[in-house]
Amino acid sequence: MLDSFYIAWKYVSYNKIKTATLVACITLITFLPFSLELLLNESERQLMSRAVHTPLIVGAKGSSLDLVMNTLYFGEDLPELITMAASDRIADTDLALPIPMYVRFKARGNPIVGITLDYFDFRGLKIAQGRQLAVLGECVVGEKVAESLALKPGDSLVSSPESLFDLAGIYPLKMKVVGVLEKSHTSDDLAVFVDLKTAWVIQGLGHGHQDVTKIEDTTLILKRTESNVSATAKLFHYTEITEKNMASFHFHGNLSAYPISALIALPYDTKSGTILRGRYLSKEETQQIVKPEEVIAGLLQNIFRIKNVLDAVIAVVALATVLAVILVFALSLRLRQREIQTIFKIGCSRMTIVKLMAAEIMIIVLASAVLCSVMIFAVQNISHELVRMLFIR
Amino acid sequence: MKPTGLCPIRNARSFGWVFTFMLLTLVFTVQKSPAAGPFTIYVANYPLQYFAERIGGDQVKVVFPAPADVDPAYWHPNVAEISAYQKADLILLNGAGYAKWVNKVSLPRSKMANTSRQFKDRYITTKAFMTHSHGAQGEHAHESLAFTIWLDLQLAVQQAEAITRVLSLIQPEQKEAFKRNYESLKEDLLALDQKILTIVSRAQSTPLLASHPVYDYFVQRYGLNLVSVHWEPDEVPGGDQWRELRRILTRHPAKWMIWEGAPVQATVGGLKTFGVNSLVFNPCGNVPEKGNFLSVMDRNAENLCAAFKK
Repeated sequence: MLDSFYIAWKYVSYNKIKTATLVACITLITFLPFSLELLLNESERQLMSRAVHTPLIVGAKGSSLDLVMNTLYFGEDLPELITMAASDRIADTDLALPIPMYVRFKARGNPIVGITLDYFDFRGLKIAQGRQLAVLGECVVGEKVAESLALKPGDSLVSSPESLFDLAGIYPLKMKVVGVLEKSHTSDDLAVFVDLKTAWVIQGLGHGHQDVTKIEDTTLILKRTESNVSATAKLFHYTEITEKNMASFHFHGNLSAYPISALIALPYDTKSGTILRGRYLSKEETQQIVKPEEVIAGLLQNIFRIKNVLDAVIAVVALATVLAVILVFALSLRLRQREIQTIFKIGCSRMTIVKLMAAEIMIIVLASAVLCSVMIFAVQNISHELVRMLFIR
Repeated sequence: MKPTGLCPIRNARSFGWVFTFMLLTLVFTVQKSPAAGPFTIYVANYPLQYFAERIGGDQVKVVFPAPADVDPAYWHPNVAEISAYQKADLILLNGAGYAKWVNKVSLPRSKMANTSRQFKDRYITTKAFMTHSHGAQGEHAHESLAFTIWLDLQLAVQQAEAITRVLSLIQPEQKEAFKRNYESLKEDLLALDQKILTIVSRAQSTPLLASHPVYDYFVQRYGLNLVSVHWEPDEVPGGDQWRELRRILTRHPAKWMIWEGAPVQATVGGLKTFGVNSLVFNPCGNVPEKGNFLSVMDRNAENLCAAFKK
C-alpha cells in the first residue's frame, strides 16, 4: 500500500496545478459552511449576551429593532426621541431603576453616549486611567476609542456637527477627556461617554454665554426693553466648559421635557418587571417597552433563515464541485490510458491501479482536510473580533 | 529511638500555622462585614443633615461638605467633593432647583433622593426680572423656583417623611427605629409650626419687608404680608436701594425688615430713619454657629414676637 502512496505522491507533486486546483476546490467547499456556522454562533453569542443582560428598554413606538440596536450597540439609526418625563414616570412607579440614554451625536466617528453614572455600575465598566465623570463638558472614552485616537486623560475631543452644511447650527463642544475605561469587549469600548446634560449642551439645549442683561457692547444687542433683551447672532456662546465659564451654563425650562433616545429599565424584581411591562400595553400609549432578548432573538431567527438559504446554495455548489472533481478524475483516467496500459503490461494487477487512484484521491482529500482545519482554527481564534467588525460594528 | 528534642519545635511550627490560619480567618471575617458600619449620606443643605441625623441616629453618617461661610444654594463643590458625593450610599437633595451645582455635575440617579418630589406641585415659581432672546430659540427667562422649602415647617415634615421612607427602603431592618425617630422630629417641627402660627396670628396682616426673596414658603404657610428687596446684611445699601425702599414704603408701610443674618449697624440706623426696625430670621441653610436647626428656628420665632405685637 505504501508503494501505491509513494507513486501517487510522485504523480500529484508532478501535476502541481491540477492538484492545487482540486485541493482548493475541496477546501473551500468544506470551509465555507463550517466557518459560516462558527461566525453565526459567535455573533449569536455576542448579540444575545448584551441583550440578555439588559432587562427592559423603553423608547418611542416604532421599530423595536432600531431602538434596541441604538441602545445596546449605539447603532447609526436614531429611534424617535422621547423625553426625560419617561424616565421620571418609571422612577415614580418604584418598580424599576431607569437609566436614560441619549445616543445621537458623534465625535470623530465614535458615538457619543449620554448617560447617567448608573450606566457604568450596570455594565460593570471600570475606569482604567483617570477618573469618573464629574462636571459638565467632560467625557470618558472606551478602550478602543482611546487606542485609535491616541487619547489619554487631559486630552480634548470635539463633538462633530450633525450636518456639515448646517453653518448656522450648533457649535461643536470641546470636551475634556477625564478617563479611559477598561476593555470590556463590547460596544462600550467604541463609545465616548458623557453625562446626559453634556449631551444636551452638545445639542444646544444647554448653553453658556455672556450675561445679556449686563452687556455694554451695543453691537451685541438687537433690542432692549424694560423686560426683555434681544441679543444679536454675534453673542458669543462658549464652545468649551471650563471652571471659569461653568457658572454661565444653564438649561432653559423643565429638564423633564429634554430629549433622550431610550432608557434602560432595571426592575427591582421579576414581578415589578411584569407589572411595568403591563403598563405599556394600552393602544393610546406613545411609548413601547421591549425585552431586548426577544428582539435580538427575532433578529437572529431572520439571520438563521438567511443561513438556511446560504446552506442550500453551498450544498448545490458543493454537489457541482464534487461532480466536477469526479469528472476531473474520470478525464484524468482517460488521459492516463497509455500510462495505465504500461503499468498493466509490466505485470501489475487491476487492483494495483485501483489502489494507485485511491491513494491519489486520498492524498488530495487529506491535504484539503488539513488546510481546511487550519483555516477553521484561524477563524475560530479571530471570530470574536471578526464578528464585531463584520456584524456589530 | 528518635530524638524527642525536635518535637517541641515541630509543635511550635504547627501552632504557628494554626495561629496564622486563625488570624487570617479573623481578618477575612472582619473584612467581609462592612454592612456592620453606618451608611454614608451626603446632603445638599443643613436642614436635610439635621433631619437625616435625627431620623437615622447611629445607623447613618451624614456629611455636608459645604464650608460654613457659604450659602449652600450657590456653592459649587470641587471635583474631590463631587467624587465623595458619587461614592456616598445616599444623596439627599432639597429639590425645587436648590443647589444649582446638582445640574452641572454627574451624580448616580440611583443614589439620589429628592425630598420634595412628593409635593413638587406645591413649588413656588419666582418671577424673572428680565427675559432675553438670542439665536433661534426665542425669548426665554432665567426664572427659577423658590427653594427654601423647609421654612414652611409643614413641608419640612414632609421632607423628613421622605427621608424616613428612603432610609427604610435601604435598611428595612431599622424601619421601626427610623419611624420612632421621625415621629419625635415631626412632633418638634409641628410644635414649632404652631408656635410661629400663634405669634403671627396676633397681627397677621402686619406689613413686613424682607432683605432677600427667600421667604416665599414661609410667607405662604403663615399668610404674611411681606415684600422683598435685594439687600445684603454685610453691605450698606446704596442710594438706589434707599430710593427703592422709599417707593415701597409709600404703598407698603412696613415697620419691620426681616434679615437672613444680623445687618451692619449703618443699615440698621438708616432703616430707623424710615421708621423700620430690623429682626433676624435665619433660614438656616448652612450649619449654625450655635445650636441646631430647632434652636435656630425657635430663636427666629422669638425674634418675630416683636413684629407681631397686638
